[in-house]
Amino acid sequence: MTAATASLPAIFGGIRPRARWRETKLLAVVAATILVGSVSLELTRQVAVPGEATGLHPANPLHLAIYLGLLLVAHVVLILSGRRMDQILFPTVAMLGGISLLLMERLPRNLVVQSVGPWKLGLGDVQLAWLILSFVLATGLAVTVRSDRWLRLYKYTWAAAGVALLLATFVLGDEVNGQRLSLTLGPISGQPSELLKVILVVFLAGYLSENRPLLVEESTRVGPISLPPLPFLAPMVAMWAIALGIVVVQRDLGAALLFFTVFLALLYAATGRPGYVVMGVLLFLVGAFVMYQLVPTVRVRVDIWLDPFKDRTGTGYQVIQSLYAFARGGLLGTGLGAGLPTVNGVLPIPAVHTDFPLAALGEELGLVGIMAILGLFLVVIERGLRIAASAADDFRAILAAGLALVIGTQAFIIAAGNLKLIPLTGITLPFISYGGSSLLVNGIIVGLLLALSDRGVEPPPPPRRPGRLARLTGLGRPAAAHPGPAAARSGPSVPVPPRTPSGAAELAEPGGGDGG
Amino acid sequence: MRFATSAPARGGSTRRPLGRTIGHVGLALTVAFAGLALGAGYWQVLRSPDMSREPDNPLVIAAARNVVRGQIVDRNGKVLASNKRDANGEPYRVYTDRTFSTVIGYASRQYGTAGLERSWNSQLTGASNGNPIGDALRKFQRNPYDPQKLTLGISSALQQAAVKGLGSDRGAVVMIDPQTGEILALASTPIYDSSAIANPATQDQGFAAARDNKAQPLLTRATQGLYVPGSVFKIVTDVAGLGSGQITPSTTFPQQAQAEKDGLVVSGFRIHEHPGVPSETFDLTTATEWSSNIWYALAGLRTGGDNLASFAARMGFGKPLDFDLPTASSQVTNPGGTGPGGFSDLVELANASYGQAETLVTPLQMALVACTVANQGILMKPHLVIATTGRDGTHKVDPAELGRVIGPDTASAIAAAMQAAVESSIGSQFTTGAKVPGVTTAGKSGTAQLGGTGAPHSWFIGFAPVDHPRIAIAVIVEKGGRGGARAAPLAGDLMSLFFKQAGS
Repeated sequence: MTAATASLPAIFGGIRPRARWRETKLLAVVAATILVGSVSLELTRQVAVPGEATGLHPANPLHLAIYLGLLLVAHVVLILSGRRMDQILFPTVAMLGGISLLLMERLPRNLVVQSVGPWKLGLGDVQLAWLILSFVLATGLAVTVRSDRWLRLYKYTWAAAGVALLLATFVLGDEVNGQRLSLTLGPISGQPSELLKVILVVFLAGYLSENRPLLVEESTRVGPISLPPLPFLAPMVAMWAIALGIVVVQRDLGAALLFFTVFLALLYAATGRPGYVVMGVLLFLVGAFVMYQLVPTVRVRVDIWLDPFKDRTGTGYQVIQSLYAFARGGLLGTGLGAGLPTVNGVLPIPAVHTDFPLAALGEELGLVGIMAILGLFLVVIERGLRIAASAADDFRAILAAGLALVIGTQAFIIAAGNLKLIPLTGITLPFISYGGSSLLVNGIIVGLLLALSDRGVEPPPPPRRPGRLARLTGLGRPAAAHPGPAAARSGPSVPVPPRTPSGAAELAEPGGGDGG
Repeated sequence: MRFATSAPARGGSTRRPLGRTIGHVGLALTVAFAGLALGAGYWQVLRSPDMSREPDNPLVIAAARNVVRGQIVDRNGKVLASNKRDANGEPYRVYTDRTFSTVIGYASRQYGTAGLERSWNSQLTGASNGNPIGDALRKFQRNPYDPQKLTLGISSALQQAAVKGLGSDRGAVVMIDPQTGEILALASTPIYDSSAIANPATQDQGFAAARDNKAQPLLTRATQGLYVPGSVFKIVTDVAGLGSGQITPSTTFPQQAQAEKDGLVVSGFRIHEHPGVPSETFDLTTATEWSSNIWYALAGLRTGGDNLASFAARMGFGKPLDFDLPTASSQVTNPGGTGPGGFSDLVELANASYGQAETLVTPLQMALVACTVANQGILMKPHLVIATTGRDGTHKVDPAELGRVIGPDTASAIAAAMQAAVESSIGSQFTTGAKVPGVTTAGKSGTAQLGGTGAPHSWFIGFAPVDHPRIAIAVIVEKGGRGGARAAPLAGDLMSLFFKQAGS
């Protein structure tokens, strides 16, 4: 294409690279930061007072090199793809991944031991492997996804797959500590609820974008109160029931809270009706109260939250130790490697690498470090929502917003749990916690967000008939009356020019989406 | 990509774009994250110092095993607590003077910490030196631990003499420099062997011996023992009565002389005098000399419950004292009373005014009452540690005022009455032996009736010299009899020793 000013000369035929200077610069900052962190960690190890068992072991410099190489390769692939994609999202995520790598290098290696062939892999090795796979997935999706039809057209199929996955976990899941979270199929084991997050968002994007007019405009009047159309409360009740089911069967409070929160946020984003949120919160309160009465796990978690010091050596132990870790960090932290995630070989917080990485980081990086990490997550959220707000149509807007919300809400839930602002729920801190399922799914999310940020992707298909539900209930208006969703997106500053039928990779509206 | 339908062709929507609502969602998340930042700030800054001192904090546990704790020395540099290493090379505590066991406590791997070893743990292990900026910069040093040596204001000679003077009795002695608040002796008996608890080889027997002793040596009586004060509480009534202006040094009560014989009727109850008090009209000085219950009951009634409670509170009653060791909360009355000052009725107020009824005090609290009068009405904060020494040198703990309780003239009037109670021919009958030879001495004895047939607690509080006091003292000997029998002579001996040592 001719218009693209930032376009580099075409290498062989099909490949038209496009410079991504902003991403290059940001990645340089990320690389420098991780290098400094790594050097600091090594220095701390060398000067550590002998006899003081902080559990530090020499970090593997090869890991760092591999990670930085991975970032470089991913960056080059993004450049070669020639797409006008967001340039801030990937470096931000790379920074979070780098922090994770530093932390996992620093924690005792034997927290995780996996044998792969002749090798015995420790915590840092395994996390690096997952980070590689996650970024490969993200980059791969970012480069290859040029159409959203496969997501858009089969939402009920996706929903069915999600429910099937959930039921499979209910029935076949491996039970650990009274929680049924992971599913083992042959050699592969994973946590389906992680994948379920994405499936939920895809389904909601399809459902909400299709039924948006009805959800926005119809009302049921009960006396003086104007309620949303009653038939459309069905999905809310269904979602609520699924969330409660996850709590009752899987004891997975975190996933339930995450799903319901993301659902409510998307419902609000699609409709702009605070009434939905109010009703959702009421349903949540009722559900929470009933669950507290009925499900022992919930009661224990809430009681720990209310007063962890009541059973300081028992149920409250881990939360108290998390708070101690934050307190030890103070304003500036002890410095990488100088904290006490282990004392004389014992871990005060056994789940430090999965549920409490923020506490370990809070100890070693201090309040300043915590602010920086929270800031990184806010940047991820901001990029996601920005991609959403400038998306070409409702489906993509809700999809992008939902994907960003999944990361943001999850980070909030676990961080707030670590800080005793809400009851602790065992979910991962995105990109930082140890865990394959989580890293892979977050890689998928980043890949999809990057792809969605390229406004050169195939434009949305023509609108289909109104949602099945609307047809069944007769609340919908005739299909002809449905305005196309895409035009609604053409805000004042973003007129959408006609596209040429070929070279879609180069298609871009002025001012559109390269992350500026 | 072959689908390139132009978007405007499907335009014409009246629906609003999603940007606005997505903005709302973003705003909500931003607020939520701001909440996280505040939460982190709460734990990492506001709560950081106290959370980092908790005994089950790994920082404290790691320090206990690995750090050679700072020494503790007395005011003359005599070592009270030092360290040895066991067979594995791990350090443990050794205490050289058992008379300090109830002050210093112990630091044991198995049984945790007590006493100063507990309250100053973070400084002794060097995990914190109490200076936020220093703490923040500490991490740049090779060894992050900077154990502090503690210098106590206590003089070993006075401490040993106090414990020896209490002998086999249970009791407590508190000696304070009223002008600075430095504690010069803080004895509680019985004492125990804290080295045995700290030594890994003997810790189990050592701890069991202290714990199972019926006399409760692990209870620091000087700060945690709650006792009926008896007549020494009359000085609190003086402070409240004169401080509030309700009575003056020349206040007399017309009904008092007769009531010395027949008893004083308050709301139908009759309050009796202790034997031997003549039926005369007293003023402040003569009432203090004779330790007249009737005059003080009348003074307390005129002062009022509100004044009595509030002046007592100014001297520390009503809540634990801010001190290096845990303290019990002294009280003028039980909590929950509905009358003025929390007294249930006038009878209770009248009885409390001479130190009976529901009044309960710690020896340290009564020493502070003496300090207040001695220091011209200004109460200094009592403190055990007078200096800390670490890598960056020695930091003195500066004297701190807790506030002015009464004016200097009022304090002088009370001091004069207390001097008469020790030095006049009448007063000295009740305070035998309290007078320091060659030094003007003020004081008040107390005989706390416990009900039943047991011997009363023997009390004395006082200070010397009267015009420019250098030492204030409170002594209690449990079941020691009259104040003049045990407490007053012991106080006199200890103050004499103080002046001999200091060179008067």
